[in-house]
Amino acid sequence: MATTHEAEHDVRHPTIKQYAAIAAILFAITIVEFILIWPTAGIDDDLGLSKIPLLIFLSAIKFAIVILFYMHLKFDHPLFLRVFIAGLALAFMVGLALMGLFTAIKGESRAFAEERAVPFVHEGEHVEAHPAPTTVPQAPPTPIPTLPPSPFETLVPTAEPAPAGEETPAESVVLGPGAPLGLGVNGDVLEFDASSMSGSAGETYTLTLTNTSTVNSHNWVLVQSGTGEEVATEGANHAASDWVPPGDSRVFANTPLIAPGATGEVTFVAPGAGAYQFVCTFPAHQFTMTGTFTVN
Amino acid sequence: MAHPPESAPLDHHYTTTGLNHRKLLMWVFLGSDCLFFASLIATYMVYRGQSLVGPYPNDIIDVPITTISTFVLLMSSFAMVRALAATNANDQRGIKIWLLATALLGAVFIGFQIYEFNAFKNEGLTLGTNLFGATFFTLTGFHGAHVTLGIIWLVGLFILSFKGRLGPATALDVELAGLYWHFVDIVWIVIFTLLYLIGGFDVGPALPAG
Repeated sequence: MATTHEAEHDVRHPTIKQYAAIAAILFAITIVEFILIWPTAGIDDDLGLSKIPLLIFLSAIKFAIVILFYMHLKFDHPLFLRVFIAGLALAFMVGLALMGLFTAIKGESRAFAEERAVPFVHEGEHVEAHPAPTTVPQAPPTPIPTLPPSPFETLVPTAEPAPAGEETPAESVVLGPGAPLGLGVNGDVLEFDASSMSGSAGETYTLTLTNTSTVNSHNWVLVQSGTGEEVATEGANHAASDWVPPGDSRVFANTPLIAPGATGEVTFVAPGAGAYQFVCTFPAHQFTMTGTFTVN
Repeated sequence: MAHPPESAPLDHHYTTTGLNHRKLLMWVFLGSDCLFFASLIATYMVYRGQSLVGPYPNDIIDVPITTISTFVLLMSSFAMVRALAATNANDQRGIKIWLLATALLGAVFIGFQIYEFNAFKNEGLTLGTNLFGATFFTLTGFHGAHVTLGIIWLVGLFILSFKGRLGPATALDVELAGLYWHFVDIVWIVIFTLLYLIGGFDVGPALPAG
């Protein structure tokens, strides 16, 4: 029985010529795929996203050609094909299940990942969020290199912590000279509860940030306009200084890192008139936790 | 791995399916290896576009170079079927030439991969840099390990061919190596399409204005 089968099987093997033709087809499909995606070929833009199913279709053809002809499944006993297709079908299901699990649990996958992002910290580096500071005016635990505490500055008494911003829509915080600035975050959403703030040049302010999140630590960093993301990227290497790059000339003021549910503050002198930006530099928060700070 | 041609080939033993068990086992193994690669590919797809720091695929993926190495791997599959055809035809010279050609083309593919991994490392992408690096190196690294194993298998057969151990009676030894080799090729067809043709131009995360 086996002998008869082997004999038949040999007769039905493709010839060398057919093998070479198959190699040529595989080569041609690869070239077509390359032309489809290579920008200078010009087809890339015309196709847009429709090239993705097309590319998958072309690679599926290559896949099928190799298993049917080079691996002889077309000519062999159907049990071999069934065993392999079973494995392939299971593989598809595992793949779909994994992708479904990790991207569809809670809406958009990126937001899901960001909310849970745990920044990488080198061994021995200090990472713990600072304990909730009291509301008594005090120098921030981290020295601000660009703004050394001066005995001549008048510290403004700090107001009560800003109201928890869970439901507060984005609003503008505009306050007169010397007034305390209150700011919160929108609960566990990576947003400040105000998208713009303003102040007067040369005035001293005490900003109080109330962190209403239950899971995320935040800080508030005043930087040159448009540099928030760069500063945060650089800050990602400085866990020990609360994710703020030490001695960075783009940074004007910053609160310490504030643990979930805690309140922290910073006292600073508003820089010269112009547009500034405030941002949370905790890694990955900078993309959504930012706003403008206008100095009049 | 190989049996002297004078010994009775295993095919002639009675099996409940009427099929050779070694060959059936190879297909079962390949079916299960699909699951292995599906997990790694799905992990790459899950974390696609989720890296928070660069380098991103568009910064470093070199599609033209990889198209060439893909072509090399496809051609190695052609050399492999020639090696099996030569074994069935008892063409001793052909067996040696095509087995060696297959192994060499595989080695060229691995050479491209070493070059690529090294270039990525110099650009700052390692296994620990970001999610792209972690999933990319794990997936393509395991594929490279499969290719490397295949090369060792082919070199083993190449050595046996000098002892005259390969011929129509032991064609199954070459066929099994061939099945494994073609499988590694089809896995690459999938990886090349998803990681290079489709994912190779991914830029960093789309940032909200502000």
